[in-house]
Amino acid sequence: MNFKKILIANRGEIAVRVIRACRELGIPSVAVYSEADRLALHVRRADEAYEIGPAPSRDSYLRMDRILDVAKRCGADAIHPGYGFLSENAAFARACDDAGITFIGPRAETIQAMGEKTSARRIAVEAGVPVVPGTLHPVTSDEEIRREAARIGFPLMLKAAAGGGGKGLRLVPHADDLATAALRARSEAKSAFGDDSVYLEKAVLQPRHIEIQVMADAHGNAIHLYERECTIQRRHQKVIEESPSPFLTPELRERMGALAVALVKKVGYVNAGTLEFLVDKDREPYFLEMNTRLQVEHPVTEMVTNFDLVKLQIRVAQGEKLPITQADVRQTGHAIECRVYAEDPERGFLPSPGKIVALRVPGGPGVRDDSGVYEGYDVPIHYDPMISKLVAWGRTREDAINRMRRAVSEYKVLGIQTTLPFFERVMRHPDFLAGDFDTSFVEKAFAQHEVKREAPWEVAVAAAAIQAYRDRQARRGALTQSAGARPASGWRVRGWREGPGGRL
Amino acid sequence: MIFDVSVLGRTVKAEVKVRGDVYQVTIDGKPHTVDFRETGRDFASLLLDGRSFEAGLERKQGGFIVHLPVDNIEVALQEAARGSASAHKKATGPARVTAPMPGKIVRVLIEAGQEVAAGAGLIVMEAMKMENELRAPRAGRVQSVAAREGLAVETGALLVVIE
Repeated sequence: MNFKKILIANRGEIAVRVIRACRELGIPSVAVYSEADRLALHVRRADEAYEIGPAPSRDSYLRMDRILDVAKRCGADAIHPGYGFLSENAAFARACDDAGITFIGPRAETIQAMGEKTSARRIAVEAGVPVVPGTLHPVTSDEEIRREAARIGFPLMLKAAAGGGGKGLRLVPHADDLATAALRARSEAKSAFGDDSVYLEKAVLQPRHIEIQVMADAHGNAIHLYERECTIQRRHQKVIEESPSPFLTPELRERMGALAVALVKKVGYVNAGTLEFLVDKDREPYFLEMNTRLQVEHPVTEMVTNFDLVKLQIRVAQGEKLPITQADVRQTGHAIECRVYAEDPERGFLPSPGKIVALRVPGGPGVRDDSGVYEGYDVPIHYDPMISKLVAWGRTREDAINRMRRAVSEYKVLGIQTTLPFFERVMRHPDFLAGDFDTSFVEKAFAQHEVKREAPWEVAVAAAAIQAYRDRQARRGALTQSAGARPASGWRVRGWREGPGGRL
Repeated sequence: MIFDVSVLGRTVKAEVKVRGDVYQVTIDGKPHTVDFRETGRDFASLLLDGRSFEAGLERKQGGFIVHLPVDNIEVALQEAARGSASAHKKATGPARVTAPMPGKIVRVLIEAGQEVAAGAGLIVMEAMKMENELRAPRAGRVQSVAAREGLAVETGALLVVIE
């Protein structure tokens, strides 16, 4: 059975990504949007679009009732949740079932079992998958947090039990930091997930963050699509991902893939999912959590495997068998993704929302830009600050890095600060080039080891001075008589003309 | 036209003259021939002594952020005839803590009259789903607190004054 119409319960670049897959499959797409998002790109790209409430997510993108109401009224028979928002909400998956609408993702029971992080850890232990030492149950009181922390020892990680995406997550180096960290983590968890329970894990030292993409159908078939290296993070959020990981040996790669498939089969998982692992400096993998949805960084896998994960999600959700087996999945070449955030890397990655006054997007061989913005778009303060994902593919890691550096140099976003200048520097950093980094790269290695290079400041001065000169002339109404604005008719003025009067 | 320019911690003089389609820009006595063409709103193609650059020119108070292929460079400038370049003069007196981004005040950690150490947390702001703690730029006594919990603020809004 083919879907007649798919509603996308999300916004921004991921909604645009899903709309693109729908269009290629010939399935009409429906966008939903908040009052702040009338002019968002997903609204402009979809076949239909309906407003679902005020700007705050809890009044719009998290309103299951309104989204389901739109789906019923417009005749959508499937909902793609994207990532974030309702994508890992078991109650929403169940509500879709009850309404006779297909939720494009795993079954509600699986979301519940794997989405509650401590339950996922228990299941992993049962499936023989190694986990990081810590609590196997959610912790809700400060007293219990103190007791468990004392048992596990410092440094440790505090994580939202219902969480993901770096929200409600804190590294606690010493016992002294516990009270503040717990307060902040629980407050963030409460506002992001409506649940302030947390769990504790021993902090793995010099960890690499590596995840395995899986895909399973409702007929018992499950495959993995190899790994993504997600070690480069800031504030525990990924900023650069790549595949293959420069850190994995072929044996470890096969072993982690097999562990992932074993866990997926154990829980009867259906649709796309990701198993996150920490790999310590001795190359021992520890299962961290499972994301029961499409990941932000899925394009990296698409570039090296040549499979369209969103289309696979839709086909599997339609009840089809997986059209590919494990033997069909090969990693070809190397892909890197840089998440372009509306943030100022010079000021501790502070959010920098606002109007994009001018925009130039890179192209050419091996470059993909999954964007949710456009020139003239006002990046709102209400949502995640990621505006686009820039992906580069190359035959080797070195080719991919060179291509990424080239693509970043072509990418221009004026009006807001972005993480693009940060990526330019990472792509030249010796530790990154050598593939030698852990999750502290941004805070430590990168900050201490800034690659110095003479900036072309004279070019900048020339450009700024000429533009300022032209602005003055324009204000004096004399621009039509000065350089640049005149048609190239061949006639020349003799002699240098001096501003500001523009007299000959 | 002569500009006093401040760029990457340097102070230089830049003189702009024009002939036909090209400009002559003299930076600290060194002349450059620049063919400057607009290539779209806020973008220009520069041929500077034969080298080709595509520049984004983002207007800022007192100058531009010039987007070049490998760097975004802030250039503050003003016409030399109008007085000295003082774009970066630091104000003294009470330290004003302002909102670095638009967002919502989640918590106010201090009150007026309180002594704070340099780096002490003052305000917790939420923007784009992340909580950020604003810290005291220096030690002193909190003179006034304009921030209120739950308040939505714009960039630059005055939150706390430390004397």
